[in-house]
Amino acid sequence: MKLLIFILLLAAQCARAHIGSPNVFFDGKAGPHAVRVIIRPPAAIPGVAQIDIRTAVADVKVRAVLLSAVDEAAVPPITATPVEGELSNAALWLSHAGNYDIRVTVGSDEIHIPLRAASLVRPVMPAGLGATLAIAGVLLVLAAARIAGAAARESTLAPSAAPTIRDRQRGIRVARATLALLAAATYAGTVRWQKMDSDFRNNALTKPLPVEATIRTQDERHFLTLTQPRDADVTWASLVTDHGKLMHLFLIESGGGRAFAHLHPVRRDYRTFEGVLPSLPAGDYTIYGEVTHETGNSDTVVGSIKLPAPLGSAPQTDWTMANEVWCLSPPAAAGNAAAPGALDPDDSWHVGPASTTRNAPLMGGGKILLQTPGEFIADRDTLLRFTIVTAGGESVPLQTYMGMAGHCVIRREDGSVFTHLHPSGSISMAAQQILTPEKSPAAMVQPAGNEITFPYAFPQPGNYRAWVQVRTAGRVLTGVFDLRVAR
Amino acid sequence: MTYIAVAMAGFAAVWMIALGKEGVVIAKLRAPVGAWVALWGALAFVAAFAFDRWWQSSYGLAAGIWHPPQIAKALAFFTIAFGAWWCVPRWGGGVVVAQIGVVSMAQGFANRQHDAFFYLLACGTYPLVLAGAAVSGGGRFPATRAALVGMGVHLAAVWLLPLVPGVPETGPIYNPRDHLLPPPFPPLIVLPALAFDWLLAARKYSDWRSAGEAGFAFFAVFAVAQWRFAEFLLLPMADNWFFAGGGKQWPFFLRISDEMRTAFWPGEILDIKNAILAVALAAASSRIGLWIGAWLNRIAR
Repeated sequence: MKLLIFILLLAAQCARAHIGSPNVFFDGKAGPHAVRVIIRPPAAIPGVAQIDIRTAVADVKVRAVLLSAVDEAAVPPITATPVEGELSNAALWLSHAGNYDIRVTVGSDEIHIPLRAASLVRPVMPAGLGATLAIAGVLLVLAAARIAGAAARESTLAPSAAPTIRDRQRGIRVARATLALLAAATYAGTVRWQKMDSDFRNNALTKPLPVEATIRTQDERHFLTLTQPRDADVTWASLVTDHGKLMHLFLIESGGGRAFAHLHPVRRDYRTFEGVLPSLPAGDYTIYGEVTHETGNSDTVVGSIKLPAPLGSAPQTDWTMANEVWCLSPPAAAGNAAAPGALDPDDSWHVGPASTTRNAPLMGGGKILLQTPGEFIADRDTLLRFTIVTAGGESVPLQTYMGMAGHCVIRREDGSVFTHLHPSGSISMAAQQILTPEKSPAAMVQPAGNEITFPYAFPQPGNYRAWVQVRTAGRVLTGVFDLRVAR
Repeated sequence: MTYIAVAMAGFAAVWMIALGKEGVVIAKLRAPVGAWVALWGALAFVAAFAFDRWWQSSYGLAAGIWHPPQIAKALAFFTIAFGAWWCVPRWGGGVVVAQIGVVSMAQGFANRQHDAFFYLLACGTYPLVLAGAAVSGGGRFPATRAALVGMGVHLAAVWLLPLVPGVPETGPIYNPRDHLLPPPFPPLIVLPALAFDWLLAARKYSDWRSAGEAGFAFFAVFAVAQWRFAEFLLLPMADNWFFAGGGKQWPFFLRISDEMRTAFWPGEILDIKNAILAVALAAASSRIGLWIGAWLNRIAR
């Protein structure tokens, strides 16, 4: 398991707030106008962010404001170029790593989308380019030796004179010295490259942040404790709440397991979160925790934990029962956990198989239906659309779950992609609120009937699992889908 | 502009090789040694350019500056400049002087010209070309000629670039611009170059002693002249198209306080230790220049 986390930490090419899913999605309103935005940040800074905007309004302008700089220093807005229908595109240069406020102006209304610009990918030179450059380098070194040797041999001879043996020996000596000099220079260049690459990986490359997870047992209850490593560069001292919670914690059973939990532990100190564990089956779990700092930075921390068998009054269930869905949450109430030993009212957990069709069972006999037509294609703008119905096919009205019509967690089979979506997109509501303090985000809307949508673009092909969480009749229900994303 | 210059150098070298009249023989082809060197520089630039393109798209600026392909590009460009010098000893030294100015431009702001590093860098580089040109350039004032060509290239940039309209397309813009930025006014290399012409035209002593004298003269003349000139460049008097000074010309992305625009930035003090080091560097680079000059005088192909 530690190896898995290690590989995940190494391999994940990620924006910090999500893993392996650097694109930013927004679906909401600018004033009266419906707007959907996808921001594809550059892999390296400076670089160009591609911004796709879908709206019925023709006049769309985009502007990138670096939060650490004064507003006046921002470049003037650029007008997005119409592509087709309601879609328009803009390319924005991002010259500095850091937090940006991407301002999209639709007509006379403006929306703010937080974007963190950072180096996302560890550079790997394509084999073809590497081979070409290596061959060119060897040829250039040999050519340099040849030219230096020829110059030493005969450049000072009269045009008609033939080089003597001494001239030739001098030429060979100079050619060898040139070879040695260029070999030393190549070696020095390689050392410098390795040093710069190492500094880049340690200091500039965005990585998921590791977290240490331990289990503590007290009063017949298991508590999950998350501790930041001592060398963490940012502590949890200055977090802001996102949907009223300081941390959204996801536990996903390893090896394609059936258990999933969405929990909200309590901060104990600037390095520690703790929460009581619900009755999850024993086994290995991957942990993803999402926090937002007061700067607007969102971080995802990752870790792993081996859960013991559940204790106490929690339901003791035969977890091996196939094709049964257990989807639980405490009785609905407002606010955070009243006591450290109690579950947060918005905690929810789910045990059950994933549906490989477009129809996933919900606890209590209902169903959640995936309505997005066609197959899923990597990096294609996709609106994941779900409806919730009873066993008899009747519409089930939705309630808000932590201020949202629903939550969707998506993870690639190998853990290289992890993201947490809302109907309003992938951005942290807390981060967006920091950018627009004068009003609550336009995206926080009441659910409409029994339908829920999430804007997304799967970053790479492969097998994904999606957990869709909605609240109905005061209870959080989770539908689980296995999705195949084509190239 | 850079690519056009490299392409022109490459084509000129190929043309000289194709003429094949006389010169150094490589693979049965004949060309002056400078043409071979310039061709190598042009080809090395192409490889370094491909490497740098990949680097920029992969690391961006996050890994730091003076990364390996950037160094390789600078070396390739210097090789072309040296090739041009050796093809045309009378004028070509100026190309190398201009190239030194381009590579050390970040150090060239007047605000940095009371910093010892500025003088150490100048002493380690310019005397090599000036000494080489002084003994091999022919005619009167050969080192001064090289310095004037080098300064002329820079002055053309100082005077012409601000005529081209252009606005930054990425923020933050700390210094708004509507025309291209002129580079800093070039260092007054022409003054020590005059001293080189006087000292090295009729050498009475060994090359080593001459190099020592030249090194001392370079530092003494250049440091005194540039130290005062830097003070002038930061005055409102220098805020005009000719000098592009007065603390008014800044890259749009540079965040700089009002005081620091016209102040000398903190750096290493030019104390006696650094002055001795600078003289030693200038003497060493003069000695290498004398070797190159002597070789250029003997070149027959």
